[in-house]
Amino acid sequence: MVEMLALEGRWNSRAADKAGRLASIAFARNGKILDAGHIVEVLERLIRPGDRVCVEGDNQKQADFLSRSLAAVDPERVHDVHLVLSVLGRPEHIDLFERGIARKVDFSFSGPQSLRLAQLVEDGRVEIGAIHTYLELFGRYFVDLTPNVALVAADSADAAGNLYTGANTEETPTVVEATAFRNGIVIAQVNEITGVLPRVDIPGSWVDAVVVADRPYAIEPLFTRDPAEIDDVAILMAMLAIRGVYEPHRVRRLNHGIGFDTAAIELILPTFGESLGLRGEICTHWALNPHPTLIPAIESGWVESIHCFGGELGMERYIAARSDVFFTGPDGSLRSNRALAQTAGLYATDLFIGSTLQLDRDANSSTATRGRIAGFGGAPNMGSDPHGRRHASAAWLALARGEDGIARGRKIVVQLVETFRASGVPTFVERLDAADMVGKAGFAIAPVMIYGDDVTHVVTEEGVAYLYRAANVDDRRAALAAIAGVTPVGMERRQERTTALRAAGVVAFPEDLGVRRGDARRSLLAATSMADLVRWSDGLYDPPARFRSW
Amino acid sequence: MTPTALRRSYVESTPRERIAALADPGSFREILDPFARCSSPYLAEQGVVAQRDDGVVVGRALLGGRDVAAVAVDGRFLGGSIGEIGGAKIARVLERARDGAFLLLDTGGIRLQEANLGLLAIAEICDAIVALRERAPVVAVVAGRVGCYGGMSVAAALCSQIIMSPVGRFGLNGPEVVEQEAGIEELDARDRPAIWQATGGVRRVEQGHADVLVEDDLDELARALRDAFRASPNRERLSLERLRNRFAQEAPR
Amino acid sequence: MQRIVVERSGGVPVTKRAHVGAVASGNLEVLCEPPAEARATIVVSTSVDGFEPVWRATLERFLERYPIAAAIEINDFGATPAMVSLRLEQALELAR
Repeated sequence: MVEMLALEGRWNSRAADKAGRLASIAFARNGKILDAGHIVEVLERLIRPGDRVCVEGDNQKQADFLSRSLAAVDPERVHDVHLVLSVLGRPEHIDLFERGIARKVDFSFSGPQSLRLAQLVEDGRVEIGAIHTYLELFGRYFVDLTPNVALVAADSADAAGNLYTGANTEETPTVVEATAFRNGIVIAQVNEITGVLPRVDIPGSWVDAVVVADRPYAIEPLFTRDPAEIDDVAILMAMLAIRGVYEPHRVRRLNHGIGFDTAAIELILPTFGESLGLRGEICTHWALNPHPTLIPAIESGWVESIHCFGGELGMERYIAARSDVFFTGPDGSLRSNRALAQTAGLYATDLFIGSTLQLDRDANSSTATRGRIAGFGGAPNMGSDPHGRRHASAAWLALARGEDGIARGRKIVVQLVETFRASGVPTFVERLDAADMVGKAGFAIAPVMIYGDDVTHVVTEEGVAYLYRAANVDDRRAALAAIAGVTPVGMERRQERTTALRAAGVVAFPEDLGVRRGDARRSLLAATSMADLVRWSDGLYDPPARFRSW
Repeated sequence: MTPTALRRSYVESTPRERIAALADPGSFREILDPFARCSSPYLAEQGVVAQRDDGVVVGRALLGGRDVAAVAVDGRFLGGSIGEIGGAKIARVLERARDGAFLLLDTGGIRLQEANLGLLAIAEICDAIVALRERAPVVAVVAGRVGCYGGMSVAAALCSQIIMSPVGRFGLNGPEVVEQEAGIEELDARDRPAIWQATGGVRRVEQGHADVLVEDDLDELARALRDAFRASPNRERLSLERLRNRFAQEAPR
Repeated sequence: MQRIVVERSGGVPVTKRAHVGAVASGNLEVLCEPPAEARATIVVSTSVDGFEPVWRATLERFLERYPIAAAIEINDFGATPAMVSLRLEQALELAR
């Protein structure tokens, strides 16, 4: 049937093309199973110069067998590839450009490769289409960036090509859906092929071939923060965030960035939060990766639900045993989905809180600093106000604006930063490094992570700036200066102005919020070590080796 | 369930808090506190900022009514390393101890910046321990983040008893040194489970290299410390005879 | 290594000695004592050079917020201004 249609010509050329490509790899294919020994040859035959190729690089799992194999193809045969992927995080992703296999990239995040990527740009060896938010990139997969070939990763497959992606489903459904339903080719690397899968995450009819990788797909415990490394300053900032933002706005639905300061918030909910009587009043529903530091709050009855972007190594047994809280399959394991969790984070949460590397006087925020092109991951979607939102909640309405009966609420977007980073570099700067990147490296616009007009609150060790309450730009800048410490921005603060802003509730210092700086001590943490987290979990949490001190 | 509310962590406490919590309440009298400003004269010229107590807290305290010397090494300052001043503080307080001593060791051993002076200081400490243990208990506690390595592991081995927690590590060479000298095939210094399996508190007590294992809990440690003082003060350890016996038992025939 | 001294006359003297912190990475040791005369003197030794303006601004703001008379010594191992302010406040709480 499909072949018949293909012969009809101009309206079915994609299907015909797909059939031709698949025929070219028949030598290595036995049913849906590909011979791993021929993988490089297979990729050379499948991928045409100029193709859009997605090599699944998620925030967590990596299709690294396939990306390593792709980096080994002959650049004479495969070149000018347009790479589309969430996370350009593997060394071999960069090798693709250095070897002339790939030419252009559209992506969201490049964390570990940010330096090498900046070098490629400098050398003119890569063309960056755009650095997207996750949802923006996923959206474009279904509009003008649909992959011709998708190389994805799964835990296991059966002979029919059904895939089990377990806790780290992440991007796979989105990438496969876009590719498979536009006559692209989907190849999945799997850790093993088994008779019966724990559950089917991707139907076999969407998958053209599976190949057993030389080793399990690469994944790092990115969301594990050792409580031993949380310092008193982070605890002070956590107390300010709870008293200054969560409590007054009754924030129940939220997302936390990764960082020791947000981990500190999670760890003082059962102590400080409990003493304020806030259990059940705040932090009940989360769009969040399975942060081990949230275990004490979960065990203390704070948390009703958590939907995850991806999994976290070591949390598998704990999650399986807490299916009331997490989204799990009938097999007990976590089901994650970045597109849906990002949608939840954008539309269904009332608050995003996270850190950044630089903030300017207008609270524009960026992690792009000189010599690094890192991208932003999940922050720009969750750290933005979805103007189309309709449903109301107490927290959203707390920031309502508008008049004549047509008021609407607002997402609470908090930047939680120490005034200076550990290296002595100021967080508050007169001008973002990102602003100097316009026009260079193919950036049509400055790589800003969160736009200042979306930022409603900034919390530092000095206090809280309620930017959304500022009457005008001048007040906004003065409020930010009031909590920016001795950074260049903070040195502009003036005593009388600050006093007036405190009186107007645009700025709050710790004493205004009933927070005693002296109380900011590690003894407030519900867990002070990884061993404590294991104890809280009743032994169900199994931290990766590098985090163990026993 | 609130696991941490139930206990006071030794790891989380400062050296002074540790001594205060383990000794009889209110009995600790520090000698040469930070305000005495007995810090290392050698660090500044090497571009290193000195800590005013040289990373060592010493004094007299009561332990179950006994008048003992109390020592705590501050693992936060230069890895709890022993230099001339800190080493002399320990040696002198041990030499003057009446009814025994307890040493809270969180130390990587000799301070590299002071080289031979640290080595000499540790020799004096060992000497003082051997002299004191003949007439009273000398008990070492190894339960901090740094562990007890290098020259100070020899000092610990000379004590009447060693109390450890699972967090504590105890060995002659630290993992980084082993990796550097013997190669990464012998030990990968980042392989934390391997390190604790070889030198951690649980293992050391199993092997008999340490005597008592307690959790990271000041109250439990305080009890273990008092029990150790009630045990025989002249328990033999690290003697040549004992090593010969062990060798005879364990060597393959 | 750098030494920085900040002084300010007047102020309410602290009554007790206080010692907090440690010379550990990202941390600092603070010694706070009743002063010999009615002034605040803060003497800093820091392992990191080149941050004198940041130190001065941080310490001057501390003395603005808490007009005390005290002899304060800081031994620093690369602490951030936030950590410096917090340790000073912890010391002051014990010394007043």
